[in-house]
Amino acid sequence: MTPVLVIEGLHVWFELPNHKELHAVKGISFELEPGERLGLVGESGCGKTTAILAMMGLLPPTASAAGKIILDGDDILAGGDTTMRPHRWKDISMVFQGAMNAFDPVKTIGSQIQEPIVKAKLAEGKAARLRTAELLELVGISGSRQDRYPHEFSGGMRQRAAIAMALACDPKVLLADEPTTALDVMVQAQILKLLVQLTDDLGLAMIMVTHDLPLVSQVCTRAAVMYAGEIAEIGTTHDLYHKPLHPYTRMLFSATPDLLAEQTVRSIPGAPPRLDQPLVGCPFQPRCDSALTVCASEAAPLRTGPDGHRAYCHLKDTA
Amino acid sequence: MRAGWSYVGRRALFALITVFIAISLNFVLFRLAPGDRTSALRCQGCTQEFKQQLRADFGLDKSKPEQYVIYLNQTLHGDFGRSFVTEQPVTSELWQPIKNTLPMILLGTIISIMLGVTTGVIAAWRRNTLADKGTVWGGILFYSLPTQWLALMLILYLAGPLNLPTSDIADPYLAYNNAGAWAEFVDRLKHMILPAATIGLVLFGEYTLIVRSSMLEALGEDYILTARAKGLSDWEIITKHALRNSMLPIVTLVFLSLGFIFGGTILIESVFNYPGIGLQIYESVGNRDYPMLQGAFLLLTVVIILMNFLADLLYFKLDPRVTE
Repeated sequence: MTPVLVIEGLHVWFELPNHKELHAVKGISFELEPGERLGLVGESGCGKTTAILAMMGLLPPTASAAGKIILDGDDILAGGDTTMRPHRWKDISMVFQGAMNAFDPVKTIGSQIQEPIVKAKLAEGKAARLRTAELLELVGISGSRQDRYPHEFSGGMRQRAAIAMALACDPKVLLADEPTTALDVMVQAQILKLLVQLTDDLGLAMIMVTHDLPLVSQVCTRAAVMYAGEIAEIGTTHDLYHKPLHPYTRMLFSATPDLLAEQTVRSIPGAPPRLDQPLVGCPFQPRCDSALTVCASEAAPLRTGPDGHRAYCHLKDTA
Repeated sequence: MRAGWSYVGRRALFALITVFIAISLNFVLFRLAPGDRTSALRCQGCTQEFKQQLRADFGLDKSKPEQYVIYLNQTLHGDFGRSFVTEQPVTSELWQPIKNTLPMILLGTIISIMLGVTTGVIAAWRRNTLADKGTVWGGILFYSLPTQWLALMLILYLAGPLNLPTSDIADPYLAYNNAGAWAEFVDRLKHMILPAATIGLVLFGEYTLIVRSSMLEALGEDYILTARAKGLSDWEIITKHALRNSMLPIVTLVFLSLGFIFGGTILIESVFNYPGIGLQIYESVGNRDYPMLQGAFLLLTVVIILMNFLADLLYFKLDPRVTE
């Protein structure tokens, strides 16, 4: 299948107030097949949210992006806002992290879902209302509630409505930035189930950003593990769990509590490197439990495995 | 829908109680002042007997609680006594100045809101640029200028080139010449434009700062990012989401300041010799015209309370979260 979205060597820099630059995303590349669910995993500050904001062209003015974001064969990053705007929400839409605040508090839920529909000239007036009701029903909210205000919805309902809003213009790619962070465990499970079901039903490709690796293995078929602005390892969730090529992936899995496993939770010592300074060698080397001497001086080489499994590591064997 | 009427009812009750307290304070204040309505009388025939007679006429020989009840009763019937100067009822004497002042301060407020909102939005949208710093410092500068000085500068530098009148409210010859309603309207507008511009210039700086800070707060919210993601243009984001949310503090401020401008036109109306409520208060102070002052003060208090009440109502309309 031809991929719906291809990211090629995407870089993002932030200009800092002291005229320094912070290299937040360092040339990441991956492909997204139609209907595929890809997890983007990593610690806070590893650049995962920055990367997907770049795909929507929503970076703050202090940021600059380079590389290619190819949607259906067209590079939408090339022309900046001009090439990006026509695709926003129509081809790529997004479910934001803060379910609580993604809606304007003084406007009804329905009017905010309608906004992109009317903007994209897909429907107007009564038809737009009908479409809004349909979308809400799709995520399990009664369509008659579209005249309610955000504060009248619970957190879980607001996140459902946010998903309905993301689906408003029938996008091809859905970006979900930690869609379940602010929710309790039961609602989390419902929202994830809903996302899986919707992407399956609508043939929608999804990139889900999270720091929760086990959650990714439940929802996604493939995952990319990001560290210090780079993709340390990418592959099927099965391969990542059973045959990780990068020690960081293995350590991330063992840093999550598991009810059935006898091993205890092991945290990864140390903190990610600062990104406003140039790095020598493998960025994970200071925290790595199986680092070699070469790791400190030379950038890690690409290692490949079956099913598009890729990792950047000096180790020759499974990590 | 929401429990709207109980909110309106509670606000109205609150406003009425405040009015009652203000009326009572008005009674106490004027009786706390040294002397009474007769002490200022200086004339040949003003003997002690005559003054005593006057006190009896005014009901000042009665006990204070009795006077209070009579005062309340009169106030409720819209009777504020008669002006010492013209001997006409205070209500009718105050009515004309109020009618003169109202359109002027409304025009002034509209000017200040337009200036304030535009500059505030520009400052917030172009944060930390020259446009931001320029508008903010400009606003603060005008806010800090003495009102009467600014009014004089407008007369000096604008009245001549723009051929605008600098005194009074209308050209008496127009009515005399039967110039027609339209010409009279234009003439009225010309007379109020400079005082109104003074109000607008003095006030807009405050609005600039409030609009800027509440816009900045709104622009940082997640729903603005969502709106951008939905493909809305900058203009739509500002007008449909950011401004709508930052209107909430602005509305309160505008209505509160409307009440205060009403009483604060004394300086402006003195400079422009504009026969409004401010000039009337100024003259009444000079004439020791107690009933006029008492009436005017009460009126100002009621206007401020009324504006507060209206701000509450509008807030309720603008913010769906307000139910209590």
